[in-house]
Amino acid sequence: MSKLTTVPHSAPFAPEQIQALNNVIGNVSVVQRAWLSGFLAGLDAAEAKPAVPAAAPAEKPKLTILYATESGNAEALAAQVRQDAAKRGFAPKVLDMGDATLDQLKGAGTILAIVSTWGDGEPPQRAAPFFRAFMSDAAPRLEGVKFAVLALGDSSYAQFCETGKQVDARFAALGAIRAAYRVDLDLDYEAPAKTWISTTLEKLAPKDAGSVIHVDFHKTAATEVASKTSPFAAEIIAHHKLTSERADSETYHVELSLAGSGITYEPGDSLGIVPENDPALVSQIIAKLGVSPDPELTEALTSRYDITTLTAKQVKDYALITKDDALNALADDAAKRSEFLAGRQMIDLLETFPHSIDPEAFTALLRPLAPRYYSIASSQKAVADEAHLTIARVAYETAGRTRKGVASSLVSDRRKTGGLLDVFVKPNQHFRLPKDAAAPIVMIGAGTGVAPYRSFLQEREATGATGKNWLIFGHRHFLYDFLYQLEMQSWLKSGLLSRLDLASSRDQPEKRYVQHVLWEQRDALRNQLAKGATLYLCGDAKHMAHDVDATLQRIFADGKDEAAGQAALDALITAGRYKKDVY
Amino acid sequence: MTETVKLAHNETIKTNSRYLRGTLAEGLSEVATGAISDDDQQLIKFHGIYLQDDRDLRAERAKRKLDKAYSFMARLRVPGGVLSAQQYLAMDKLADERGNHTLRLTTRQSIQFHGVIKSNLRPALRQIDSVLLDTIAACGDVNRNVMCTPNEFVSPIYATAEQTARDISHHLLPHSNAWREIFIDGEQVTKEPENEPIYGLTYLPRKFKIAIAVPPQNDTDVFAHDLSYIAIVENNVLVGYNVVVGGGMGATHGDAETYPLVGRIIGFCTVAHAPLVAEAVVTTQRDYGNRSNRRRARLKYTIEDRGLEWFAGEVNNRLATKLEAARPYKFTGNGDRMGWETGVDGRHHLTLFIENGRVADVGTWRLKSALVQIAKSHDVSFIISPNQNLIIARATDAARKDIEATLAEHGVPLRASVLRESAMACVALPTCALALTESERYLPSLITKFDALLVENGLDKQSITVRMTGCPNGCARPYIAEIGMVGRNPGKYNLHLGGAHDGSRVAKMVKEDADEQTILNTLAPLFADYAKNRKKDEYFGDFYLRTEAS
Repeated sequence: MSKLTTVPHSAPFAPEQIQALNNVIGNVSVVQRAWLSGFLAGLDAAEAKPAVPAAAPAEKPKLTILYATESGNAEALAAQVRQDAAKRGFAPKVLDMGDATLDQLKGAGTILAIVSTWGDGEPPQRAAPFFRAFMSDAAPRLEGVKFAVLALGDSSYAQFCETGKQVDARFAALGAIRAAYRVDLDLDYEAPAKTWISTTLEKLAPKDAGSVIHVDFHKTAATEVASKTSPFAAEIIAHHKLTSERADSETYHVELSLAGSGITYEPGDSLGIVPENDPALVSQIIAKLGVSPDPELTEALTSRYDITTLTAKQVKDYALITKDDALNALADDAAKRSEFLAGRQMIDLLETFPHSIDPEAFTALLRPLAPRYYSIASSQKAVADEAHLTIARVAYETAGRTRKGVASSLVSDRRKTGGLLDVFVKPNQHFRLPKDAAAPIVMIGAGTGVAPYRSFLQEREATGATGKNWLIFGHRHFLYDFLYQLEMQSWLKSGLLSRLDLASSRDQPEKRYVQHVLWEQRDALRNQLAKGATLYLCGDAKHMAHDVDATLQRIFADGKDEAAGQAALDALITAGRYKKDVY
Repeated sequence: MTETVKLAHNETIKTNSRYLRGTLAEGLSEVATGAISDDDQQLIKFHGIYLQDDRDLRAERAKRKLDKAYSFMARLRVPGGVLSAQQYLAMDKLADERGNHTLRLTTRQSIQFHGVIKSNLRPALRQIDSVLLDTIAACGDVNRNVMCTPNEFVSPIYATAEQTARDISHHLLPHSNAWREIFIDGEQVTKEPENEPIYGLTYLPRKFKIAIAVPPQNDTDVFAHDLSYIAIVENNVLVGYNVVVGGGMGATHGDAETYPLVGRIIGFCTVAHAPLVAEAVVTTQRDYGNRSNRRRARLKYTIEDRGLEWFAGEVNNRLATKLEAARPYKFTGNGDRMGWETGVDGRHHLTLFIENGRVADVGTWRLKSALVQIAKSHDVSFIISPNQNLIIARATDAARKDIEATLAEHGVPLRASVLRESAMACVALPTCALALTESERYLPSLITKFDALLVENGLDKQSITVRMTGCPNGCARPYIAEIGMVGRNPGKYNLHLGGAHDGSRVAKMVKEDADEQTILNTLAPLFADYAKNRKKDEYFGDFYLRTEAS
């Protein structure tokens, strides 16, 4: 075994950079080494820079990277921008819109905003208070500030990238100078985002920057844990229904073994599942394309492409490829188009407007198959190298066809104990237990929204945290879908759960939801908040989150006007004491 | 004298219950479980409520981290089974909103609601209270719903009997305010613990059942209850009652010390004295009944152990006006008067056949909806019959026509086969905790098979009482039927034959653990023999006893 070349500790690099360099240089061949040395020398010569900076560089220009994130994508992009910007000589600062104040915008120099839209045209939850202030008369004039907006969204929603569009327009209205055109990106945002970031930074970059050669070898780090692109195949070690056969819908408890993966997670984190499409749907699509079965195509449609949505763009593109006049007319008529899109998927398009098309042309229409995220329902302090999930099987009828959730039907119907699921952890820094183990928490959730609370309770039980734990749980029928009922009973008995309130929506003539419990128990809630409680909300975003917010606003208004209630609610969010994980 | 017999646990529960309160209020506020504590489960019976769980779902639950599918059954106290149309509609609504969308007419002329979950229990009882009904003492170690031959709207004789039923019910009603306090008001309104002048702190040793029959009908099965009254009519006036004591159906499989018994007559009392006689019988049982062994705690065993003469003497000692000698009476059968009849005032009354008392909408048979439409459209009363049928009473000529049309529109026939009309089953699975076998869900199909045998033998016009229960407790009074089946193990029944058609005799156990085929194989030759060799007007039960010996 030959002696490995190593970079000495005395080299002008940080220890982790030395480690990274060693990982590369230690293993390169003679040819590679020669190329590297030539490359580095050539680089210096071409840019005509001295090998060592002659003097301290001038003050770096400020760059504020402002992001509004719901799922963490915008946050990850912000980190990427920071890295790239530092490389280019900026003094970058990352600012979460959830923590930002209007004052921080003034004198920010250049602001690069990365803004997600959530649901149907709404700002991400935690960013909402800032967003409202930014859009209001309270916003300061921003003359002298340069800005650029990268908007993230999902084109299967009508109000695509709406928040990004509004932020972009607002910056301009406040007198800021648009340094680059906004870009609106869909689920397959990664590559175009990278391009936009580099060209935008290029445009903004100080011309004398770049005096330090940035070495970024972190990709080659040997001990990489599972990620979206390289998930871990976790074995299902327990798989059973949590709901009664009489329940309106099915919810499953799934236990995964992470043994050997090196994956760790915290209560509040989500597990991403890299799913596979329903093979039956894949076959139907292939049949509709009128091509003969082909393993490569089957694999692509099963594992790589999203085949269960349908966007306006896809309709238009399909119309262009197929030169279908009727479809073209439909694609250009906004009203008719959205009527057609409602509840329909790609298979319906192929069925309604059948054409024989080339598989490659077809897959070019499709968006990449995105991972599905589930709040982890366990704590590693209780279950070690396992992760538990609580998954509701999604199935419904639209446009005369039964539709199934991609990941939920995979887990419910096609993977059983002993099967494998491709997973990775997605941390959720914004949905954590309070640092203070003695602080009370109030957990509000419905249906599978109970999942992270099971994780919280396991964690607090394992760590002996003394804070009071109050759960307000909503479901349809007490008898049929009270998820984890027996566990809740024993936690009540042991005192870990200090209080449980239930809202069964379908057990009596009037509908009863978690917000009704909140309203009835408003004095107890105020009391807990006075004692420093953190409020959590998990579950359905469309109705529950909205109704709970409205009720909290009403409770906090305490007889005063709506604005007072909203201000109190915003203050709680800004203080990090009202955390949401809604979907 | 010192007695060292250990009291049954229920006695301790009652003693410590503060007149039936226990920790019921606390238990109802525990939301994580649909159940209440074991001791409270005993106490809640006194309020007409049982805790049950859906036994069809038991297998799935624990694995799914779900507790048993607990719910409550609540039973009305409605002496003689008489409801106004408005009360009936309220009960129908209650079944839809808080129960399992069905009403169960019971063998004691009451209505049971099944599937009432804990969070719905108080709202359900408040709905019952709002139409001046209650569930007080419909179960428990107290006098239960008083039965009476219907119907009070036909003639003054029936009206007198019904009034006696109400008087007795009222006279023996517990004084405790616990029911109202726990379920209706939600807080204690009584400052001092109340007195129970008749029952005392520990109530009765066991359940207590009372019935009144107006001959020639023994539809209430007077020989099957702790205390019964046989109406004596002289010159077209109800003058008083023969008093029957010590009947009872309950037994325990494998316990020879327990058995069904028919009651015996100890004398005659006037109408006015009937409630006082009830008090004397009840207090005698209160003082002498067995409080250490609940299986032997019914009045029938007190009388068995101490003698009928002693018992009659003890009752008379407690009465200012002694019992007179019993008077003659004649029963012909224990079925209902099916179909239409017209009362002395010209109003019409329909006794509508309802299989096993289950009021529901099932497919094209939409009885529940039909009854709602009738109740909303006409000034009628509803009376639950002792055989779980329903009487639609007080219909005018016009209403009668419309009622028939409404029932026809909803696919509800007025009548069934003779055999089916004289058949009765208890609830059993899935709700009853005691059930060992199916009963209500199974008997209808078995009756179809019996009917086929009867048709073969030309016996389809012959009334034969057939009764089935899912356990030996005997809620459908199977031991006095001509053909009785008592559940033993899944799919298997003890077959009892030879009860009297008028309910005055206990049948014999003929086969143990019989499955359906065994039952059919046993009955087929007997029906053939009966068709050929019966005497004129001889009932099947009588024929069996006469020929079985030979």
